[in-house]
Amino acid sequence: MIWLRNALLYDGKTLRDGRWDICIEGDKIVEIVPGEGQKAALNDKGTDCIDYDLEGRLVCPGFVDIHVHFRDPGQTWREDIDSGSKSAAAGGFTHVVAMPNTDPPIDDPSGVRYVAEKGRQTKGAVVLPAGAVTVGRQGKMITEMIGMVKEGAMLFTDDGSPVLSAKAMRIALLYLKDLGIPLMEHPEDLSLSEGGQMNEGRASALCGLKGIPRSSEIIDVNRAIALCEETKGRLHLTHVSTGEALESIRRAKEKGLNLTCDVTPHHLVFDDEMIVKSGYSSAFKVNPPLRTKDDIEALWEGLKDGTVDAIATDHAPYHIDEKDLTFEEAKYGIASLECAVAVVIDEWHKRGKPFGLSKLLGLFSSGPGGIIGMDRTIKVGSKADMTVLDLNMEKKVEVRSWKSKARISPYDGLALRGWPVMTVVAGKIRHELQ
Amino acid sequence: MAWKHRHLVDVDVFSEDDLYTVLEEAVRMEEVMERPLKKVPALRGKVVANMFFEPSTRTRTSFELAEKFLSADVINWSSSGSSTAKGESLEDTAKTIEAMGVDAVVVRNKQVGTPEYLIKKLNGACVMNAGDGARAHPTQALLDLYTAWRHFGSLRGRKMTIVGDILHSRVARSDIYAFSKAGVHVVVSGPRSLVPLCVSDLAEYEPDVRRAVQDADIVYALRIQRERQEEGLFPSIDEYHNQWGVNEDVLSYAKKDAVVMHPGPMNRGVEIDSFVADGERCLVLDQVKSGVAVRMALLFLYLAGGGER
Repeated sequence: MIWLRNALLYDGKTLRDGRWDICIEGDKIVEIVPGEGQKAALNDKGTDCIDYDLEGRLVCPGFVDIHVHFRDPGQTWREDIDSGSKSAAAGGFTHVVAMPNTDPPIDDPSGVRYVAEKGRQTKGAVVLPAGAVTVGRQGKMITEMIGMVKEGAMLFTDDGSPVLSAKAMRIALLYLKDLGIPLMEHPEDLSLSEGGQMNEGRASALCGLKGIPRSSEIIDVNRAIALCEETKGRLHLTHVSTGEALESIRRAKEKGLNLTCDVTPHHLVFDDEMIVKSGYSSAFKVNPPLRTKDDIEALWEGLKDGTVDAIATDHAPYHIDEKDLTFEEAKYGIASLECAVAVVIDEWHKRGKPFGLSKLLGLFSSGPGGIIGMDRTIKVGSKADMTVLDLNMEKKVEVRSWKSKARISPYDGLALRGWPVMTVVAGKIRHELQ
Repeated sequence: MAWKHRHLVDVDVFSEDDLYTVLEEAVRMEEVMERPLKKVPALRGKVVANMFFEPSTRTRTSFELAEKFLSADVINWSSSGSSTAKGESLEDTAKTIEAMGVDAVVVRNKQVGTPEYLIKKLNGACVMNAGDGARAHPTQALLDLYTAWRHFGSLRGRKMTIVGDILHSRVARSDIYAFSKAGVHVVVSGPRSLVPLCVSDLAEYEPDVRRAVQDADIVYALRIQRERQEEGLFPSIDEYHNQWGVNEDVLSYAKKDAVVMHPGPMNRGVEIDSFVADGERCLVLDQVKSGVAVRMALLFLYLAGGGER
């Protein structure tokens, strides 16, 4: 039995008044009672009771990240399901969805089973599988989606690339429609982005790195929206980075289309000028590329007005040998699981709390949870998945001590305010910041 | 005056005073080049490595001569036949050379940001950029500036028109910085598909080459690489030549005493016409000569601190 005492509580819907004591038995929440004055009575319950005084820290439903790359199977020098799971728990996440662009890709039921089984046995966050939309991520034949859902696939995506043909995406949206499972599109037009290194704009004009035009994202977002509208299928657009694409999504939502979207922490805090300012540090190389200050503002506006449903990291670890190179030689991708929550809370503080705390917490819990059909409320009888935050703790990001195998991140050394301090997965404490 | 910069990455960090420090030093170096015995002991005991990971004849040769005229010991390290061809990384190659006691590394590489990358990895050796991708070519910009300054005597208030593939040109980027800093009004011209989308953040843009060179003092033709046409960025070499090739007719729109420059090697009949290339107003060979003097000046400033000669 575990008691989390003297806590502030966000139950998945609202921030409750006062302080609360929460009791966990097995993998369930068994009691939620107003804090203080309860201790004596509880002592009767025996000695195998672990007692935490949270001193006013904030208990939230377990955070969910629907977009991580754990490189397992096939590229485990970059990350694997175990290291990724521990990294996720250390970052405050109880559940993460692993992208299927592995080697081989997760494009059949046995692949999904591999990730699901390994993902259940981990010592950190639960790792949930995603399946590829098309066989080999080739954009031709759709995968055995029904069989893959039976094995535990939470969503389908050819992430790393867009679904290469509109026809395949259309068929997949139709095929998935009655399963209620989303198709997650990585919006990019490869003919426009090919060879591009950074956002095409002022910074790329000045430094001569090949640009990735904004239209690459905008065109593919609109292609996906048109298919979503026609099929009435369930669409999710991931790592949206431009104001124009977000505006298309806003209009599509107003029309009542069945679509959701997420943004990453890095697109919420860094712009393309960082590449030049950092002396072309490859830590800032990512796809979609870091955009402009105006885009950052548009994304924050999207968080505020609800156009953005979730924050997802797109945690993309690489081995240092593939990343610590000149900008153009390095791989695209930012690893951030262990600091993503802190990055966003810190920026939310810096911006003078542009929206309420419960909205912010929803972007990590009920928002992403809703996309994959996972209930994220704290109530008696629910699964004990919880993330405990200290909203005012200040701490530096220290990449060399990460559980992730990544050793390069643009956040390294930054002092951030607001950290996850405890992660409880199915009643077990998987991470605790001392 | 003591030289305060430690590495030569790009000219964008140079003040106007810095530019003229280099130019005036280059005048003295040109005098050395005109002596019967073209050698001074300024860098005796210093070792310079020329690391060229992209094919280059004139820049590498120019650096090598500059180093030799100053009595530095010179190592040439090119990508073919060296350990990079065997898979050694840029980092390890540079560290290896530095560990042998090299004082300066002159580097040409196709990756933008190579100089900063080496500065981060090396243990203090002076890094001099001989061209990184499409981003910077500071010694070219300085030799261009020197050539124009020697020709005209003064630069402030003059107009320079750069014609060609601005998008992929490190020469254009560094020249725009250097000439603008010296008070020259820089206008660029070329097909829209060969200029950055945000070209106005870089320089004034005029697509019509005749309008662009109107009243120019300097017409600067950039080399057109045939692979850009193969990539589909412009339809044909002929159409390019007809629209943007610098010929006598184009030049007639510039000032009477305007000069023509080109970073070399020239594609005659593409970006420049032979009548212009071989004409009296073409400064291409002056640029080559200036290149050695300017690189001597830079090596001297960076490696001897602008102090004792």
